[in-house]
Amino acid sequence: MLIAAILVFPSLAPNPYILSSGVIVLNWAVLATAWNFVGGFTGYISLGHGALAGLGGYATGLLITKAGIPSFVALILAAVLVAALAVPIGFAALRVRGASFVIVSIALVLILLLVFQSWSSVTGGSRGLVVPRPFPGMLRPEHHRAFFFLYGGLLILALATWWLLDRSRFGMGLKAIREDEDKAESLGTPTFAYKLTVFVVSTAFTALAGGLYALWFGDLDPVFQFSVLTGSYIVLMALLGGVRNLFGPVLGAIVVGIALEYFKVEFGSTPLHLVTTGLLLGLVVMFMPDGVIPSVTGLAQRLRKREQSSIREFTAADLAEQRKRDREGATS
Amino acid sequence: MPSGALLLQSIILGLLLGGLYALLAAGLTLYFGIMRVVMIAHSAFLILAAYLAWWTNDRLGIDPLLSMVVTVPLFFGAGVLLQRGLLSRLRPVTLTMMSVLITFAIALIIEGLLGYVFSGTQRRIQLGYGTESFNLFGARVAVVKLIAFALAAVSLAGLYVLMKRTQFGWALRATIQHPDAARLVGIDTERTAGFGFGLGLATAAVGGTALSLDTTIYPSLHWHWIGPLMAIIVVGGLGSVPGAAAAALVLGLAQSLLQIPMGATWAQTVFYVALFATLAVRPQGFFGGRLAQRF
Repeated sequence: MLIAAILVFPSLAPNPYILSSGVIVLNWAVLATAWNFVGGFTGYISLGHGALAGLGGYATGLLITKAGIPSFVALILAAVLVAALAVPIGFAALRVRGASFVIVSIALVLILLLVFQSWSSVTGGSRGLVVPRPFPGMLRPEHHRAFFFLYGGLLILALATWWLLDRSRFGMGLKAIREDEDKAESLGTPTFAYKLTVFVVSTAFTALAGGLYALWFGDLDPVFQFSVLTGSYIVLMALLGGVRNLFGPVLGAIVVGIALEYFKVEFGSTPLHLVTTGLLLGLVVMFMPDGVIPSVTGLAQRLRKREQSSIREFTAADLAEQRKRDREGATS
Repeated sequence: MPSGALLLQSIILGLLLGGLYALLAAGLTLYFGIMRVVMIAHSAFLILAAYLAWWTNDRLGIDPLLSMVVTVPLFFGAGVLLQRGLLSRLRPVTLTMMSVLITFAIALIIEGLLGYVFSGTQRRIQLGYGTESFNLFGARVAVVKLIAFALAAVSLAGLYVLMKRTQFGWALRATIQHPDAARLVGIDTERTAGFGFGLGLATAAVGGTALSLDTTIYPSLHWHWIGPLMAIIVVGGLGSVPGAAAAALVLGLAQSLLQIPMGATWAQTVFYVALFATLAVRPQGFFGGRLAQRF
């Protein structure tokens, strides 16, 4: 159903602006799904994934401009490089639990911003980095369309990987870490290796999304690439949609992503979007820390008054599917 | 090799800066000790207090130090409300992670509102004694920096006396050490925790006023403070006030000294280098006790 939606959307989009918004929303969807590898499975909340995406973007851009590597080879190479860099970062960050992990993830954003702004001989500093287009001679709407499909493919790849992990022994171990790390460890789960592996996988997808963004947008600015705000949007999307569901982050990305675009059009860039983001994040954390999907499922179940199994990950995914179908039925 | 006077100047400035860091890190340590909460919004409140001090000076024309008469009780109340109204209502299982998000949300709201009310323009207090300085063995020390340090030192000393000598301090320390046992001996731990939070936020009010004396402020400035402060409490060992104070002085000094060869921007990286080095070598921090090991 999601595949069909991705295939159909570009031909339904009335103008290139809507199509480019679609690309941005898909970018968010990939980022939120990639975040959910760490956040959903292990329960470690990272506010630094925005910076990892920025790192992927800059790595892609620098490989193209400085080393002269073809665009898409550079994209893959950049993802591999950033994933390799994630090993030492994860090694430092994942040795500690909870609080310190979040601190490290925020520190990562701040230090990268500092480095990329100051090291202007390589990164272009505050003037930004211009990345050449991968398809020269392509008109803008076609360019958007091509990247829409590229992002769609990446999203499906990420979702499939999440789905596979969710059903594997590895995923089981990760969820055990989320529920009780000490018990998981005493039962013989190699918790540190598991955490590190999934962090690297998550980073690789994040870097791919960031690299694609660099190729699509063509211009990188450290202030936007290494912003704590990007990371917090990702967390907001994933939490809003529900971190335990396959499609939760995608749903959150669609809702928040569209809202962000709408805000940009209506209000420009006033500081009020910070207030709105903060309020929304606060409300989600206070009242539905499990996300919209479980909340709605719970409500629906109470209304239906039917006894169902307590395994909610399965039913909720079904419900998400169904809701998506309903929505498409209503729009088309 | 830089000259002796420059070196002495850097050492003095580093120690003065370290004093301010120590006061603010003490507040963060309090929150963490009481509830295992990492308070991202601490530095946002710091900037808020600085803005209030600037506003008092700009609009009412009185000395910014007097704004503390209002901001300290106000922030104390805000801290109590924050703890009782928001943080104590989160699920205990996911408290650490969710509290990070909620305080992060508060930081965003404060930054957004500051930008909306006072606009993004950079602000600076103009004081009669703002440019005065005196000589100390050939080093120039600005009076305002000394005032800021004195404020921080007096508040830290006050905090120490409060924690060690009063009945409330005993109750607070008991709550930090073992909440269940504290409740058994008749301490109202929830109320104590609320007041502890208020105390922590009051340090942000003092720190913000001290900061406003000689710093140009703007709404997003708090991101430049939260990183170093977080690094300090991790290096010092989460939950340890003396550890945080020692780490604050050492890192403040290091930052100031490194500014000579590296420049102001790169010198900031010392905090992050220290953070990553600490986590790789000694994750529980260099001064932390048994509390820090589990987090």
